[in-house]
Amino acid sequence: MDNLIEARGLSKNFGDFRAVNKVSFTVAPGEIFGLLGPNGAGKTTTLRMLSGLLKPTEGEAMMNGFSMQHQQMDARRSLGFLTGEMDLYRRLTPREVLLYFGQLYETPPAELHQRVERLIDAFGITPFANRYCEQLSTGQKQRVSIARTLVHDPRVVVLDEPTTGLDIMASEFILQFIRKMAKEESKALIFSTHNLTEVERLCDRIAIVHQGDLVYLGDLDGIKNQTSTDTLAQAFFELVKDDVAVPG
Amino acid sequence: MRRHIIATIFKKEMREVLRDKRMLYLIILLPFFLYPVLFTLIGSIGANQQEKLTNEKVTVWLSPTAEGTPIQALLIQDSSLRVVTKTFVREDLDSLKKTMGVLLPADYEQRLAAGQSAEVTILADQSQDVLDMRANILARQLAAVGDQVLSQRLTDQGLSPGFVTPIVVTNVDLSPQDTGGRIMASFLPMMILLFIFIGCIYIAIDITAGEKERRTLQTLFTTPAATGEIIAGKFLAVAAVGIVSATMNILSLVVAMNIQVYLLGGENTSFSLQLTPEAWVWLVILVLLATLFLGALSLAVVLLANSYKEAQSYVSPLMMIVLVPAMMSSMPGVELNYQTALVPVFNVALSIVTLLKGNFDPVLLGVVAGASLVYGILALFLASLTFGNENVITGEKVNFKMLFKR
Repeated sequence: MDNLIEARGLSKNFGDFRAVNKVSFTVAPGEIFGLLGPNGAGKTTTLRMLSGLLKPTEGEAMMNGFSMQHQQMDARRSLGFLTGEMDLYRRLTPREVLLYFGQLYETPPAELHQRVERLIDAFGITPFANRYCEQLSTGQKQRVSIARTLVHDPRVVVLDEPTTGLDIMASEFILQFIRKMAKEESKALIFSTHNLTEVERLCDRIAIVHQGDLVYLGDLDGIKNQTSTDTLAQAFFELVKDDVAVPG
Repeated sequence: MRRHIIATIFKKEMREVLRDKRMLYLIILLPFFLYPVLFTLIGSIGANQQEKLTNEKVTVWLSPTAEGTPIQALLIQDSSLRVVTKTFVREDLDSLKKTMGVLLPADYEQRLAAGQSAEVTILADQSQDVLDMRANILARQLAAVGDQVLSQRLTDQGLSPGFVTPIVVTNVDLSPQDTGGRIMASFLPMMILLFIFIGCIYIAIDITAGEKERRTLQTLFTTPAATGEIIAGKFLAVAAVGIVSATMNILSLVVAMNIQVYLLGGENTSFSLQLTPEAWVWLVILVLLATLFLGALSLAVVLLANSYKEAQSYVSPLMMIVLVPAMMSSMPGVELNYQTALVPVFNVALSIVTLLKGNFDPVLLGVVAGASLVYGILALFLASLTFGNENVITGEKVNFKMLFKR
């Protein structure tokens, strides 16, 4: 089956600074793809180029066969995007947030209402579905945010650090949902996180970005073999060691 | 542009506005409480002060030469005066509070009897409000005494009062507006523009810089809503709040002023908008066009800010753009012509003045409307350029050189 996500030589310059340098990868349907890297490596910039928030200096991002640069509306319809920099409208309820975004994706009204109720049920939002978002806990907000990402039933989902700041129960709920969503609904999923345990549990393949360059692309066993290490953490440190200050 | 997407964004923004107590207070509740309270307070302070100045006991030193004259009788009759007959010179009154002097010449009676003039001098420190007012009242009373003497002299000579006033000048005001209307015409344009701006700017901050700060703007730009649709939806919300703000403020202002006039017993003066249907139509068109310009300008500027605090620092310079031309429109000699009709904000303010004064030229107003429409569209275009900038969307520091790069 065709890849749902294609990053084709994505580069981004901010003035003279090259934040991302010719990053290429693909993600197939049903695949969970981990995008890793230290802070400032270029992960967020790459994700922003994939989502159309930033225009690449070079290269192209494809979503479900549509170019994010040249067929932006169709590409965006295929994408559900969530980063830590996205919050909910404080004075709307979770149900209203989901309906609002569903309408922006032009989901037919009858289908939208059914889908919203299904998401509210699936994410356990029912007890607080009619409460203003500003009154919700961090975990409750994150459930609503992920439901918002999925309200238009996208084929591609990008989740940037979706478990940051959550307690263990909330994190577990979200990780299980991500796995179920990718495997049962054949969505292509990019999962960006600093938590390598989560990566080992979820990801089929990973890419590591370091100082704007793609330094590894492959599966979890491959990185350990390449770096002659036993764990993902050791392999990661080996690849980005320029940034790791060793005490003493 | 898809109208249903614009409507969806507009409805969502309005829903948030209606749930924002601070915004509701600013655009609806504040006008209803602020003006009645403010006007009642100012009115009651003014009335108390007026009463105090009129009725407060004041000492009048009267020169002995006034004894037995109608002037002495007049002063003694006034219960708010304490009359002391004594010999004094001007310097004796220096540094005395609430004391004034009235000097009559020694030959006062003889001069009047001889058909001559007699000089009566009022000595008062007019830097003291109470003495200033009472000296003026006394001057009018003494002039009335003089009129009585004149009338008697004319009667003695067998002449009518018209003999000394051969020409009676009557000044008839042909303005379609009464005094209250003219007062309104002088400050209403500024108030209308100011309230539109205040209404626009706060919601503009909330749905741009506020959204950036609350981290909700990026989400919108990952949906299939086009930049033009996003800005149209947000702009309509800004314009709606601007118009509601202006309407509520003006209505409240007119009602509060009329209540105040009624309470002060000035039933002959009312503050009302006496406009013809045609003038009303023009007023509505101009208010809408002013809202288009001010709303779009507010959006374009505050969108550059990354936080509420930063956006608020842009409010003062923007307010000057509104206030200065609006204030200039009420200056004497400034009028609407084909040059001033092209100056943004100033042209709308001047047009509102001519509408309120009832002497408007539809052709000139057409030029103003056309120019305002062009400026509004330009401001909207500027706002859309700002909105489309990736630094603005992602909340990064805005590079002004790269601002319009898409």
